[in-house]
Amino acid sequence: MNDAAETADALAEDSSGGGMRMTTGGAAQRRRLLRDSAGLAVLIAGVVAFPLLASPQLVFVAVFAGVFALAALGLSLLLGLAGQISLGQAGFLAIGAYTSAILTTRYEQNALLASVVAVAVTMVAAAAVGTPILRLRGHYLALATLGFGIIVAVVANQWDFTGGQSGIFGIRKVEFNGRLYDSPREQFWLVWSVVVGALILARNLASGRVGRALGAVNDSEVAAETLGVDTFRLRVQVFVLSAGLAAIAGSCYAHLVGVVNAQAASFLLSVELLLMAVVGGLASVWGAIVGAIFVRGLSEALTTYIPRVIPGASGEYQLIGFGIVLVLAVIYLPGGFVSAGARLARLPGARRRPRTTVPDGGGEGPTAAGDEAAGDTSPLLPREGRPAPGTAVLIVRGLELHFGGVRAVQSVDLEVRTGEIVGLIGPNGAGKTTLFNVVSGVLPPTAGTVEVGGARVEGRRPHAVAAARAARTFQNLEIFSSMTVVGNVAVGRHLRSRAGVVAGALALPARAEEHAIDAEARRLVELLGLGDVADSPAADLPFGRQRLVEIARALATEPDLLLLDEPMAGLSAFERAALARLLRRLRAGGMAILLVEHDIEAVMALADRVAVLDDGHRIAYGAPSEVSDDPAVIEAYLGADAEQTTLGGPA
Amino acid sequence: MTAGVIDFLQLTVAGLSAGSAYGLVAVGFVTIHSVTGIINLAQGEFAMVAAFVAIALLAAGLPLPIAGLLAVLVVALGAAVVERVAIAPAAGSSVVAYIMLTLGVSITLKASVLLIEGPQSKALPAFTGGILSFGGVLVRPQDLWILAATLVAALGLYAFLERTVTGKAFRACAEQPTAARLVGVSPARMSTLSFVLAGTVGAVAGVVSSPVIQTDWNIGLFLGLKGFVAASLGGLASIPAAIAGGLLLGVVESLGAFYVSSGLRDAIAFFVLIVVLVARPGGVFGRTQAAARV
Repeated sequence: MNDAAETADALAEDSSGGGMRMTTGGAAQRRRLLRDSAGLAVLIAGVVAFPLLASPQLVFVAVFAGVFALAALGLSLLLGLAGQISLGQAGFLAIGAYTSAILTTRYEQNALLASVVAVAVTMVAAAAVGTPILRLRGHYLALATLGFGIIVAVVANQWDFTGGQSGIFGIRKVEFNGRLYDSPREQFWLVWSVVVGALILARNLASGRVGRALGAVNDSEVAAETLGVDTFRLRVQVFVLSAGLAAIAGSCYAHLVGVVNAQAASFLLSVELLLMAVVGGLASVWGAIVGAIFVRGLSEALTTYIPRVIPGASGEYQLIGFGIVLVLAVIYLPGGFVSAGARLARLPGARRRPRTTVPDGGGEGPTAAGDEAAGDTSPLLPREGRPAPGTAVLIVRGLELHFGGVRAVQSVDLEVRTGEIVGLIGPNGAGKTTLFNVVSGVLPPTAGTVEVGGARVEGRRPHAVAAARAARTFQNLEIFSSMTVVGNVAVGRHLRSRAGVVAGALALPARAEEHAIDAEARRLVELLGLGDVADSPAADLPFGRQRLVEIARALATEPDLLLLDEPMAGLSAFERAALARLLRRLRAGGMAILLVEHDIEAVMALADRVAVLDDGHRIAYGAPSEVSDDPAVIEAYLGADAEQTTLGGPA
Repeated sequence: MTAGVIDFLQLTVAGLSAGSAYGLVAVGFVTIHSVTGIINLAQGEFAMVAAFVAIALLAAGLPLPIAGLLAVLVVALGAAVVERVAIAPAAGSSVVAYIMLTLGVSITLKASVLLIEGPQSKALPAFTGGILSFGGVLVRPQDLWILAATLVAALGLYAFLERTVTGKAFRACAEQPTAARLVGVSPARMSTLSFVLAGTVGAVAGVVSSPVIQTDWNIGLFLGLKGFVAASLGGLASIPAAIAGGLLLGVVESLGAFYVSSGLRDAIAFFVLIVVLVARPGGVFGRTQAAARV
């Protein structure tokens, strides 16, 4: 078993607070699955045995813990996986509960069918609500969701269709073949089987393609987008899924209690659900389950003991405990119970590994696997269906970008063809990175057109540019710091794999695809000479090697156009030579490469053509030898007085 | 004047009165947000607690003006304690963590009041009795008290920020935190101060509006969120814009409740909130910012 994988595993567990982490790495992933499966086995055994052993009162409490665990699980996915907060989860719970209630009381439908319809109706509502409000960030999103919850409560209270203030009562209990399932024991088994099922689906989703993409978004949204992750769409999908889970909870609630009123949408219930997700821990799908059991237990204890201390207490005074626990949890237990438990389990006696076993520097640099010959120029990563050599896959015309009065890019034209490397050079502040940002969709241009692979992409979002087969790296490194090297590269396979939210949740159809993603990611990691650190956290690598991770990640998207922003910075001379060799071989394979680089000699040696930017203008464009003799270029670089100076010529 | 016009004017006055309270709460949001970047979800609770403290002091035999002023003082100090105990220990947390923290504070405060005062609503007596009539438009004197208190509180805050060294340091910290730090302004102290100022204006809103709105333990939720809506209308950055946002929201709500449906009164503000946030993230009175892109 390899040590790096162990470390990655330990680090992944150690992470607290952030998103649900995953380690895409053979051994680590297997161990994680094993641990999860063991956890599931314990949970299932507990679910079977608990009602047989516990008192009916306790079972009754546990039934409601299960109901709320479902809604909290949805919230936990939204917060932990998609990084979005909702203070209106109870609003969706209420929509589910009311739909179920109306269908069974007015239309005589059975509970199961009513529940299914209720979930569908709620998810449609969530899509309609989520599409506008998920464009908001941070506290605006929090307050918009809170506003949504309050609107649901007010409407439920006022509308005759929902029974006004008295709500809807006489909702049928769950019934199969004329038999009523209404003992606490049966209710427990019904509810908790649904909880176990939902937990499995959520876990599959978090550890698959969608979970990986959203984990990447939490680390660096811009990098994930440029690798083809449609952030907004995934967020809406998780929001809808989260609402669906709340609707299941609402439906269960309606059929258990028999009454639904506007209390189901109350802000205080939304807070309780949020507390469950947070106190349990957002880093794992288990958190919501643990949190729901804890919070319901706390609630029972408070409603039992507070009246003994304060005899006159009435109303929802147990909230005082919720408020205090929420503050304490955020300050002292940011990873929730699950992370705290994982830390405790690794205290004295448990296996403990040094945190950094990552070899730094001295990497052998990019190597074509098993082929060290310096002179090797065999084509690399050709792609069937790639435009013929010499086809322009990037055409920039009259590009302008102004920031207020500053004209960062002015009427720039540029073409990059398959099978060629174009160097883009210029002094600091010339607009090179800005041009990259416009081409890759990170910034919308003020005017002008950008065509990638025959499609107009100016002003489109980065994932659309990635879909047109352009991939980029970042000058200021945008590594996914919670992931391993292979995990980073696997995100690059996002566009070349398909498993969506549904397939990902069901896991089986996505399994073969996951193996293929892992294999392909490892192949690219080897190609870039990162095999020795494949399963190490990417954030632990020195900067130079992080650049190589970004290149591997970009190549994983199978681009026709590769945009490299200072890939040589931070590399050793040996690694630079290896990278130059790799780029030549990619060119031979038919890739088009646009290279921004400060190392002029490297550019002159590599590039077929060179464009020079100065102060937002393209001041020269041509073969390296022409450009290096161009007086305007020399002036831009060295000032007007420089004479008899040429930039580094072709090697 | 026709009955319709009188109705309209009377509703507008009532709306301006409620809107001033929203505006003051909104000023609290702006004050804290501009220095710390935090949206304090306990802002409405400051107003609610102040009203209950004033009611309790009045019941204990203090005259109304003293009870009101003491209540404002208690809440201002309480806000400082909240900042030191619950907010400062989590310095550097994410936006989401701060939302949860202030939410926790808000829930704790309202549940404490529920335990001590019970679920019934209570109210301070109106500061002066009677009713005024302006050409048939009837105005409660308390409405004028609310407008006057808002004006005084806003001008007082303005004078503090413009005329005192501490106030200038506070503004510097909001506009250029790094530069302010370099000249010796302590961000931690300014963070505490922002809570004190927000607590003060919130408490004023709670005390003066209590005779009109009937304070109960849960009213902070609505006061706070309507204050947030008002602050968002103003782009969350400017004190005058926050007050203008509050007045506008109060009037829209008052007219909407009468002409559309009184039951939906509380939904109106949030509908406005969602529409405004989605359509104009920079606020109606604020600058329109380019939509955030990656």
